[in-house]
Amino acid sequence: MMKSLRKFLVLQLSLMMALCLGACSGGGSGQAEDPSAKTVKIGVLVSDTTSAEALAFRSYYEDYIKSVYNVEFMFSDELKDAAAEQSAIDNFIANNCQGIISMASADRPAQIEKCESEKIYYAVATGTLTDEQYETYKGYEYYVGAIGPDLSIEYQTGYDMAKYFLDQGYTKFGMFTGASVYFTEMHIYRAAGMLAAMCDAGNGTYNGVTGMDIVGKIMADGGEVTTGKIGSIELNGVVSGYDFDDAWFGKLAAVANDPEVEVLLAVGSGQVTFAGFKPEGKMLGDIDCYTADSVGLMEAGTLNYLAGKFSASIGPIFAATLSAAYGKPIRTSEGNAFALSQGYWVAKDAETAKKYYEVDSSVTDPAYSKEQLDTLIGASYDDFAKFVSAYSFDEIKK
Amino acid sequence: MSRGKRIAGALAIPAGVLIVCMLISMSCGVSLFGSPLSRITFVRAGANVLLVTFALSINLNSGRFDFSIGSAALLSSVISSMITLKLNAGPVVMLILSVVIGGILGLLSGFVYVTVKLPPIIVSLGMALFYEGMAFTLTGGHGVSFASNTALLGFGTVTNYLLISAAALILMIAVFDHTSFGYEYKALVSGQKVAVNTGIREVPNALICYLIAGALMGAQGFISATNNGAITMSLNFGSISPMFMAFLPMFIGGFIGRYTSDKVGYLLGALTSATISLTYIRLDIPSSTQQIVSALLMVTFLIYLNNEGKLKQLLKH
Repeated sequence: MMKSLRKFLVLQLSLMMALCLGACSGGGSGQAEDPSAKTVKIGVLVSDTTSAEALAFRSYYEDYIKSVYNVEFMFSDELKDAAAEQSAIDNFIANNCQGIISMASADRPAQIEKCESEKIYYAVATGTLTDEQYETYKGYEYYVGAIGPDLSIEYQTGYDMAKYFLDQGYTKFGMFTGASVYFTEMHIYRAAGMLAAMCDAGNGTYNGVTGMDIVGKIMADGGEVTTGKIGSIELNGVVSGYDFDDAWFGKLAAVANDPEVEVLLAVGSGQVTFAGFKPEGKMLGDIDCYTADSVGLMEAGTLNYLAGKFSASIGPIFAATLSAAYGKPIRTSEGNAFALSQGYWVAKDAETAKKYYEVDSSVTDPAYSKEQLDTLIGASYDDFAKFVSAYSFDEIKK
Repeated sequence: MSRGKRIAGALAIPAGVLIVCMLISMSCGVSLFGSPLSRITFVRAGANVLLVTFALSINLNSGRFDFSIGSAALLSSVISSMITLKLNAGPVVMLILSVVIGGILGLLSGFVYVTVKLPPIIVSLGMALFYEGMAFTLTGGHGVSFASNTALLGFGTVTNYLLISAAALILMIAVFDHTSFGYEYKALVSGQKVAVNTGIREVPNALICYLIAGALMGAQGFISATNNGAITMSLNFGSISPMFMAFLPMFIGGFIGRYTSDKVGYLLGALTSATISLTYIRLDIPSSTQQIVSALLMVTFLIYLNNEGKLKQLLKH
């Protein structure tokens, strides 16, 4: 009896060992574990939760990307300062996020340092680092890179918008300079671009300077843009800030209704600032994003020019972050993080705006689909950069 | 106090501010009321501030600090504009809806306050977050835009703003100065414990106060929305800020109330505030400077109020 029991135990042990060995040999036969089988958690830092642009970005990640990739997104609250950003990163770490995509820029160096020390992949969406910052952080192992309109693109976008109206013979302008008074570089560069276009068209200067020097002039003036003559062009009204009080709304109404203003240019939020006050016949140009409301305003003739970010523009940075989380970071030939620029889709008529919006708002067939993004996971830097740089509507939908 | 003295006392601040603002404007070569737009801006600002001041003062005088009034204005204007746009109706429908929905939201805030019996500041902060979240959810965060709807935007005329202001003033005087509710309200403001001991029911009184405050904020939300045709969303207490525009007129109104009814005082306070706002616009004063000037004005006025007795004594000597 004891003998047969012993034989049975030996047989069982042998069988178990054989099974274990079999399993081990299976693992070593070259079939690596599929990284996409495990859910990757990504934290998203946002400084804005209510603008149309912020909502469109969130919708792309949560309604499309999440449905086609094995990922989970954690969005921060509205982050207003560097301390709030650090606290949000701590929260992401506590929730085992493997990567962070940042759309908050109160203190990007602090964000990068924190993620590097915590060994979490960090990427910048819808923005870029300054040249000095890039030089400092490009070699960091966990810094993935940045994709967004760089400041020269912001400048050019403002320039192109003003030029569009100048080319039509308009000479009297009003401007909304948004957060320029809070030293938001993006808005300062857009405003500077508009003023530079006026300098070129009017053969004049803006307070003694032209071109890119206008950026410095605005900075030196505390972010304020001043009214006055720019050669043969007149800048007859300027509103800045986001006070939302009676005086602020009154100023917007005054500039919009000023008979000495033909064209209203907004560095952003033109659809909620000037649009409601603008009398018929005046032109309005805005730099924002594509929404049902903006299409409606273009159809009604209230909005005449829109340079808009498209929501899927944050697709490639997601793919790069996921690629890094899968152990295949995309690095330049020198082994550094990438810094790539991406611009706007420009609509000068309602039909084009509608076409852009239909693609941009789609949660089943967005501008950047899974099939397109899949090609970026583990891609070479050159292929990745080529993909990102072909951002125009026609190039993407080709 | 003689009639003449009372009139002079009531008009001293608004008239003084008006004269100073006109002189400053003239010295800069600008006419304060030089264009129809300036007049609309002035009357609209006055109506806006008056409604918020009334709404804030109703509960604040009773020791209930209500942070949810701004969010009630936001949510009521969101719901009323969505219904109005769906029905393709006009501004009158939207105004009525705003007032009714604002009243309901105010009543809800009051109901939560009297039910949970927590300090009003805590309850109102909670309600503010709730209403902001509701507005955000209803609009998907996008807010409501009707910048091309000329019917709704066309409401913004001097006559219409004056009518709303007059209606609010009449309502406040009628309800608070000529009804048993108003007398009970005053008794509760003067001494809650004594008033309750005499048989005044505090809970219904508080609920009616919240209802009226909500309705007034509904009207204010309507004016804000139809001003520029867009309702932008606020989260994390972003809706609280409109409340702060009522502090200076409330303090001024309280001071003027010594010479006349406090309601008329609030009206004159609101007009004073609107005069200052118009001066900022006409002189194109940067917002940072505006904030400094406004803060200085309020602090100076509070210092004066706190040291009025000492100042009078000094002047006597």
